[in-house]
Amino acid sequence: MIDVQELTKQYAGRTAVNNISFQVEPGEIVGFLGPNGAGKSTTMRILSGYMPATSGRANVAGFDVFHQSIQVRQSVGYMPEMAPLYTDMRVKEYLRFRAELKGLSGMAMRRRIGEVMELTGVTDMRKRLIGNLSKGYRQRVALADALVHKPKLLILDEPTNGLDPVQIRHVRDLLRSLKSKHTVLLSTHILHEVEQTCDRVIMIHQGRIRANDTPANLTRQLRSTTLLHLEIDGIGNLVERLSAIAAVRKTTEDPLLVHPWRRFTLRVEPDHDIRDEVMELAMQQKWRIREMHRQLPTLEDVFVELSMNAGTPTDIPTHVL
Amino acid sequence: MRIFWILLKKELHSFFVSPVAYVVLALVMVLNGFAFRAALSVLENAPSEGSIVSWTFHAMWFWLSYFFIFPLLTMRLFAEEKKMGTLETLFTAPVRAWQVVGSKYLAAVIVYCVLWLPSLINFKFAHWISAGQVELPSGAMGGAYLILVVMGMFNLAIGCFASSLTSNQIVAAIISFTLSLLHFLLGIFIMVVGRKISDTIVDIVNYFAATEHIRIFTAGLIDSRPIFYYLSMALLFLSFTHHVVEFRRWRP
Repeated sequence: MIDVQELTKQYAGRTAVNNISFQVEPGEIVGFLGPNGAGKSTTMRILSGYMPATSGRANVAGFDVFHQSIQVRQSVGYMPEMAPLYTDMRVKEYLRFRAELKGLSGMAMRRRIGEVMELTGVTDMRKRLIGNLSKGYRQRVALADALVHKPKLLILDEPTNGLDPVQIRHVRDLLRSLKSKHTVLLSTHILHEVEQTCDRVIMIHQGRIRANDTPANLTRQLRSTTLLHLEIDGIGNLVERLSAIAAVRKTTEDPLLVHPWRRFTLRVEPDHDIRDEVMELAMQQKWRIREMHRQLPTLEDVFVELSMNAGTPTDIPTHVL
Repeated sequence: MRIFWILLKKELHSFFVSPVAYVVLALVMVLNGFAFRAALSVLENAPSEGSIVSWTFHAMWFWLSYFFIFPLLTMRLFAEEKKMGTLETLFTAPVRAWQVVGSKYLAAVIVYCVLWLPSLINFKFAHWISAGQVELPSGAMGGAYLILVVMGMFNLAIGCFASSLTSNQIVAAIISFTLSLLHFLLGIFIMVVGRKISDTIVDIVNYFAATEHIRIFTAGLIDSRPIFYYLSMALLFLSFTHHVVEFRRWRP
């Protein structure tokens, strides 16, 4: 369905997407995962025919995205980030306009508009001005628009951004129900979501693909690192002391709450439990410990790990995780 | 072509659901009323060579409206869509750039033509109420409205282009206002400098001057050169607009 070969996109002096290649098979739900500015949106814009790549090749549904842009756009339902809509139109009116643009007409169009409004739950809002809708409803209208021409491929840029938990669950169920008819490529920075919805995850960071696997595999692969959270009251270079424990890969000190308590996160080698050793060390050094908590890795950790391996852990804003 | 009509319908819709069209219409009607009134008082005071049509379109009031119309009608066209991000939605539907540019432009031209309809009523009314004493020479009428439309097409194309350059409507309005004003000032330049310069230069500048075109056409002289000039310039600016809109699709 999607075949991307060595795709690169440069904006004036900055490389947004750096030589990426991947494939998506028909019927898959693939999640594009990465922090803000990783190149997710850029890749999706290229795939939806909005802008060309600097180099490389991308085929969507058998059409070249640059040379057969119109056919590509015909077979793709694209929902941009932030769901931009014409605020001066009414919901049904807007969907009708979009459906006409995408080549639908007559009874078939009216029926299809009714269907997608029902699917996305905006039927009750059909006569409302889009400008007066809440963020959640706008998002749904944009989704209805992406679906209206029954595209083979759905490209959704952060479809759940700005929705409340109930709405997120609704969208997730919707996407899964679409699986039989559409291939879906969605982007998100919420890991939980990928774990729940996607067959496959493509992690992208600083314009490069860091991982491309099923969510389960990724977590298993990185079962390796467990995390140990500590809150200690002690003097001296605690980071150094803690790192000295054999199985510790990396120790980070988190900005702390109340003096004199300090908070640390330890990344521990696979299948090691170092809680005893930490305890001994603490007793020996006369530290006080008020919390020690072992955490098995989630996809989130996989992501942090991968990003760290890229060498620049600091530029990932923590709020995206 | 089908896509073009759908887009045109949508553009006209957004003109008439927003207050813009009505505000501009009101403004033009008021200023036209003043221009018409000024023309009547000229005819009232002394016998005159010109018809009421030519006096109306020579009034300062007419030129005042002339400058406000174009930026107000066109500033929205692309700038708003850029700002809202809807340009992205639009261009990921199977539409071509020329369809988008053409439909937006044509919608603006249609609204512009609607703006001048009330002035027709003014003339007809004066003709009727004076029992035919206020003459409406068909040449002057035809010429005046013809030049109004082609001049409008030229300035609206400039406005379209200005709007495609930026995502800020105010900036778009200022660019289109400045370009239209510069073009208008060519005529004023001749009026000010007058006969101090060589006739060749005067002739050349007059070829481009809006004031001169209005003078000729409202006298009932229909000259094909200005029509050709305005239409070709409109086409030029529309192709610029097309390039700007397509720019994002260029490949190095």
